[in-house]
Amino acid sequence: MSVTEYDAVIIGAGVAGLTAGTLLAERGLKVALVTKGEPTACLSTGCVDVCSLSKNPLSGIRSLPPEHPYNLVEEKTVKQSLEKFLADMKDAGLPYSGSADANRLILSALGTSKISCLIPSTMTAAPQENHDGSVHIITFKGLKDFYPGYIVSRRRSTTFSVYDAGVSTTMSIAARFEEKDFFERFIAWMTQRGIHEDGIAFPAVLGMESAADIVDTISERTGKPVFEIPTIPPSMPGRRLFNALKKTFRNKGGTIYWSWPVAGMEKTGNIVEAVTTPSEGRPNSINARAFILCTGSFVSGGLTATREGILENIFNLPVYVPGPRDTWFDNDYFSLNHNIGKAGIRADASMRPLDAPWKNIFVCGSILADTQILKNGCGHGLALATAHVAAQSCAEYLLDEI
Amino acid sequence: MIIIGGGATGCGIARDLALRGIPHCLVEKGDFAAGATGACHGLLHSGGRYAVTDPVAARECYEENLILRRIGRKCVEQTGGLFVRLPGDSKRFRELFLRGCEDVGIPAEVISSTLAIDLVPNLNPDIEEAIRVPDCSIDPFRLCLLNIRTSELRGGMIFTRHKVTEIIKSHGRCTGVKAVDQTTGEEKEIHAKIIVNATGAWADIVATLAGSEVPLTLVKGSLVITNHRLTNMVINRLRQPSDGDIIVPNEAVCLAGTTSLAIENPDNLLIEASEVDTIISEAGRTIPHFNKTRIIRAFSGVRPLLKSKKADSHEITRGFQIIDHQNGLLSIVGGKLSTFRLMAEKTVDTIMTIFHLKKACETAEIPLDGQEELSGYPLSKRLADMTNIVCECELVTRQNVEKIIQQTATRNVGDISHRTRLGMGPCQGGFCTFRALGIMNDMSIISPEQSMEMLRGFLQRRFKGIRYALWGDQLREEQLVEYIYLGILSMEKPQ
Repeated sequence: MSVTEYDAVIIGAGVAGLTAGTLLAERGLKVALVTKGEPTACLSTGCVDVCSLSKNPLSGIRSLPPEHPYNLVEEKTVKQSLEKFLADMKDAGLPYSGSADANRLILSALGTSKISCLIPSTMTAAPQENHDGSVHIITFKGLKDFYPGYIVSRRRSTTFSVYDAGVSTTMSIAARFEEKDFFERFIAWMTQRGIHEDGIAFPAVLGMESAADIVDTISERTGKPVFEIPTIPPSMPGRRLFNALKKTFRNKGGTIYWSWPVAGMEKTGNIVEAVTTPSEGRPNSINARAFILCTGSFVSGGLTATREGILENIFNLPVYVPGPRDTWFDNDYFSLNHNIGKAGIRADASMRPLDAPWKNIFVCGSILADTQILKNGCGHGLALATAHVAAQSCAEYLLDEI
Repeated sequence: MIIIGGGATGCGIARDLALRGIPHCLVEKGDFAAGATGACHGLLHSGGRYAVTDPVAARECYEENLILRRIGRKCVEQTGGLFVRLPGDSKRFRELFLRGCEDVGIPAEVISSTLAIDLVPNLNPDIEEAIRVPDCSIDPFRLCLLNIRTSELRGGMIFTRHKVTEIIKSHGRCTGVKAVDQTTGEEKEIHAKIIVNATGAWADIVATLAGSEVPLTLVKGSLVITNHRLTNMVINRLRQPSDGDIIVPNEAVCLAGTTSLAIENPDNLLIEASEVDTIISEAGRTIPHFNKTRIIRAFSGVRPLLKSKKADSHEITRGFQIIDHQNGLLSIVGGKLSTFRLMAEKTVDTIMTIFHLKKACETAEIPLDGQEELSGYPLSKRLADMTNIVCECELVTRQNVEKIIQQTATRNVGDISHRTRLGMGPCQGGFCTFRALGIMNDMSIISPEQSMEMLRGFLQRRFKGIRYALWGDQLREEQLVEYIYLGILSMEKPQ
């Protein structure tokens, strides 16, 4: 049974999917997004890695091998996609800083400097290169996903103290910071401590919606730079990013179908007409004139590896498989060069999957082949850029069709 | 007396000596059960597997099976076992098997395929028939700890994470060892009248320190661990022993294997993708679901078999031998986990004879010490403390970790895993080791630099184990863990 027909249906609620959806909705198209659940973006640091191979992300992109999907995107589109992201996030109350011209550093929970490009305002005060001021970390009693000792192992001048928030998980501490009374008590405790170090850092648990304001307030009241340190999931900065992208998409008129795992499709010739879900008691198929596949790689379930090969789960698109199973991984865990990072869908310049019969399917984000996301440091940046191309191609296709 | 080696044999010898009142000291380079003891199926043989090929080993296995079921209730699970015959499997072998069991005295009952499938619903519905035998599942690590407990209670000195670097000799006789603490680098000198080399696959390497040699055939066996308990009984294939024909349930998981390949060096074992495929497809013949189930890890152990010219290592005897090097060093080699107690008894008997001592062995009669403290899986208690759980897969709390650190004064995260099951679940320590090392640093057991180094070392060792089982959900999990450490945490390559 089908109730609704959309111009476009987006599959996947990560950075690529929500961005492509927003772009199409802004053009006045009727857009729905279906997702089986929360995206892996919720696990991320919230930072937009564009390309970490060089100090300048754009020159990093230029140095990528020819098969890398960034080569399907014009440089001006990469820039536009980042500027659009900065503007959208500002409107959504989650300000970011940075630009396509220079990478920045954030401090990781192991004390390393992680290279990224667009940084949420709560992390921008992290020490940059040649800036080795002392840092005082405030952590929380019982918080099991953050240990200042790892940071001390690299930055001996780092000191820390522990605050008892009465709760101990990332999510519950973040929720407490949204309570005014708690926050005032916390500020009072901090000012009483008299911190002498140059900067103050926290594990990334400083609230949910108001994180940017919370960091600003602590900084004003202590007179010191304040920043958050992302750690292992659950990740508040990742969740804030997801919420802001979701809000933007809805504000532009997009609809989201939650818990809607796509199980099949309906097709005529080389046109996909609908996607279906096995759920009972509600619409179990959604018709659209075009589809954008943004289901991500293995972790999010866009790709599945078997002992024999690698499959794309929704449209059964041809997958680029980097050799037989025993060559997918190097023996050295830390090589960053595991072949498995090349697996995915290869696409043409219009972001249509190669060697597939479908005229009205587009792909973007980390399901693309040859991304080597960890090696190249190109996570959310690649998602934004390819979403722009996919949305543009999809919109052109829809116009032509009329 | 000095025992070198903290596997089942070494720990069994320590217990036997303790019960006979002989002062002793055990030195082990890693943790207990670090060699073949911990890298096996955890199968307490009924003897059935050797009934046709090796009746002596079969009889020993069955007798020890009866003893261990009696003395070790908290480390033996009396699952029972089935030998299943698939279409095409030789009927002649079935006759030999039944006759072999009868000769040895192993209770073996032929049951219909219908009854077998009632007992183990996951069995291949095409099986012809099954033979029920008293196979059991045994926890090798717990077995070692319980044996060592008796030694500790009676004044035995135990040094784990101490590597023997030298055997001290005087007038041609071995009089002691030098052992280096693997954490601090500090050297200890220990003296004794006699030294027992119970180092399994490393027996020849250790004997060489005393100028002696131990002729061994080293045979690598690989196994895989599933994420689920697919059977409540041990499943064997009713045929000539071969690759991948045993599946053993152990707590929440199953172990399946093994392969059998001769090797030279007991360290740095590598697994081939083809070995994993062989095990899965063979196990999949008796339990078809095996082909679809999630494999969380593959690992290898080395069987220290007596030197033999036989080309097929499945045919080499599983019997054991005590070698008196006539210089104050005894080596105990060969044998099986199932017969460890008997091996210990014979070794200590030999020592008693050398020193003209009389006291008889009691290890078969007295239950293992310390079992009353083992509570199994108090799930309700663990869940009640949910907010303090540091290992979500195995429900290990921060308090569990702190308690082990206090009890053992360990500085090695592996010791915590062995004693709590921390990191043994589907994520294989991806989240909880970061936490356990953080806690050890919080408690000032290790320095911040050590916690970082150990985390790196752990991730590399972990990868060696899961590297061969990466597809499906385990590959997903691995990609997530890689994303966390190399992406979110931007961890660098070790120096």
